[in-house]
Amino acid sequence: MVRRRSPYGNLTATFIAIGAALVITFILLSVGSKNPGKAIGAFFLGPFSNTYYLGNMLNSASALILTGLGVGLAFRAGVFNLGGEGQVYVSALATTMILLRLPALPGVVGVVIGVLAGCAAGALLAGLSGLFKQLWGTDELITSFLISAALVPTVDYLIIGPLRNQKSNLLTTKEIASQYHLLRLLPPSHLNLTLIIAVLSALLLFFILYYTVWGYELRLTGLNREFSRYGGISIGVYTVMPMVLSGALHGAAGAFTVMGTYHASISGFTSGYGWNGIAVALIGRNNPLGVIPAALIFTYLAAGANAALLHTDFTFELGAIIQAVIFFFITAQIWVPRLFPSRKAEVDA
Amino acid sequence: MIYNALEIMTPLLIAGLGGLFTELAGVLNIALEGLMLAGAFGAIVGTAATGSLLAGIICGVGAATLLAALYAYFTTRLRANIFIAGLAVNLFSAGVIPFISTGLYGTKGVLKFNAVGQIPHLFGHVQVHIPILQDIFFGHNVTVYLALLLVLFVYLILYRTPFGLRLRALGKNEELLTSRGLSPERYRIYAILISGVACGLAGSALSLRLGVYLPNITAGRGWIALVTIYLGYRHPLGILAAAFFFAVMESLAGAAQGLIHIPGTVLLGVPYAVTVIAMVIYSIVRHNRLRRQRLYR
Repeated sequence: MVRRRSPYGNLTATFIAIGAALVITFILLSVGSKNPGKAIGAFFLGPFSNTYYLGNMLNSASALILTGLGVGLAFRAGVFNLGGEGQVYVSALATTMILLRLPALPGVVGVVIGVLAGCAAGALLAGLSGLFKQLWGTDELITSFLISAALVPTVDYLIIGPLRNQKSNLLTTKEIASQYHLLRLLPPSHLNLTLIIAVLSALLLFFILYYTVWGYELRLTGLNREFSRYGGISIGVYTVMPMVLSGALHGAAGAFTVMGTYHASISGFTSGYGWNGIAVALIGRNNPLGVIPAALIFTYLAAGANAALLHTDFTFELGAIIQAVIFFFITAQIWVPRLFPSRKAEVDA
Repeated sequence: MIYNALEIMTPLLIAGLGGLFTELAGVLNIALEGLMLAGAFGAIVGTAATGSLLAGIICGVGAATLLAALYAYFTTRLRANIFIAGLAVNLFSAGVIPFISTGLYGTKGVLKFNAVGQIPHLFGHVQVHIPILQDIFFGHNVTVYLALLLVLFVYLILYRTPFGLRLRALGKNEELLTSRGLSPERYRIYAILISGVACGLAGSALSLRLGVYLPNITAGRGWIALVTIYLGYRHPLGILAAAFFFAVMESLAGAAQGLIHIPGTVLLGVPYAVTVIAMVIYSIVRHNRLRRQRLYR
């Protein structure tokens, strides 16, 4: 059965994937730029050139830690959440709407309500896919993607249409009240408290996964469902719950993006958070602690790509290409089977 | 409306039939979307370069098959996770096509060429006295009829040849093949390549019918095609019915836009919503049937 081979790469594969992404990036930059040396220099050094770029890079990483944790948690339990894009976007709008309608409250209370609203929206969307899977065996991989894809245009419409701030030139909603803005850590960049919260979430999730019975049962279910069922673990719980939590983490990413970075919902502003979260989870090998450096590496690559594109003759979706290359290589077993040919590999060949 | 539905159905049906091969071989192929996109782009570029529709279709099929070969190589020889590699294919198309497009034509937007002609209409000369029937039966371009012929062809391959038998056996139990000295890996590669060829054809039909390539022209059709395989009970005729159902839904949605006011942006999400609802209903029906079978046993 190839259908559900475990999506954990090994560390060698991670390095190969990142290396391959770099090689492809250099090739594309050499083709697309009259001055490849300058573009490649910008790729490496651009993100560090000043505190604004550095802070924004760390800020993007903090949202990706949250979505990466969400994707990784689902993977660990053996379920797939491909609906991250929609979950982040819908939750971001939900947080914005709640905060716009709240009466003037103390900042902390409003922030907590905002986060809860975001988490609830994300949890609901992903939980639906988990529930369908549990009740009728509907493939959660496909339904989570489809539900998300169906809702993204609706959110687009709401932001562009009925909820649009007519005074702004951007396609954006009204701005939330200033007491709900999160503390900026490195002005003038967007870096804010989200980073600390994301890192704490990763630590908490690591503790839950590896030091509690719940986490043990979840991981066991992910490794072998039949065995776990035989061992008396309620499989249903570990189908629905990981999806709900995964959605909640995506929702948190949406909520914090609103409260920390943009202070409003802008058309398409969380585009890529879901797919990038998958890349981050895979680079981090679905380990909550691995997700932190993975998010940093990934945003560094993305920020470098953006910096380098300023030195090319035309813009293109370098980010998507980098991601595609990483996805191709990250779970591939390039060296391992060749160096240590196992008995099974011989039978297959 | 049925005329419209048949036109919309064609790419869905072809991609679904291709996906059936991978599905029966036990591979959940989420790369259909990216493969179709590569086909659509390749077909327009090929036709624009040569002025020949046939050469364009060959380019489209070639592009999609090449990408499918990459997909097959990573998932079988390098043992990459099938879903992650599938996502990679989709992202690869979405990223590389704008790169090539800007490199060749200086734009990553709409590609429209004068050299791209109309797909010929097969029965243009046939005259029937009832105009509606005339359109529905004889008014389509060649691809519609070819797609319908393809249903029969795929049925014959899957159910009347040793190759089809082996492919279906592979999906049920890999060891059935190994016990006969056949390589499951090889048949999986064949299945992925066939799905690539089909997606290339589907993409070509999509872009050549319009005569233009638009960014994200597939707009989720690869995913819908994947779902038609389930809804069609993994049978070519079932896929035909499911693809027709989706096509009718889409042309209804198009017609509804004129009657009641639905914002165009929201409409983009409707195919996905219909697909997910159909998929859930299908699984409920299937679930209940399985449970009944278990009760009677």
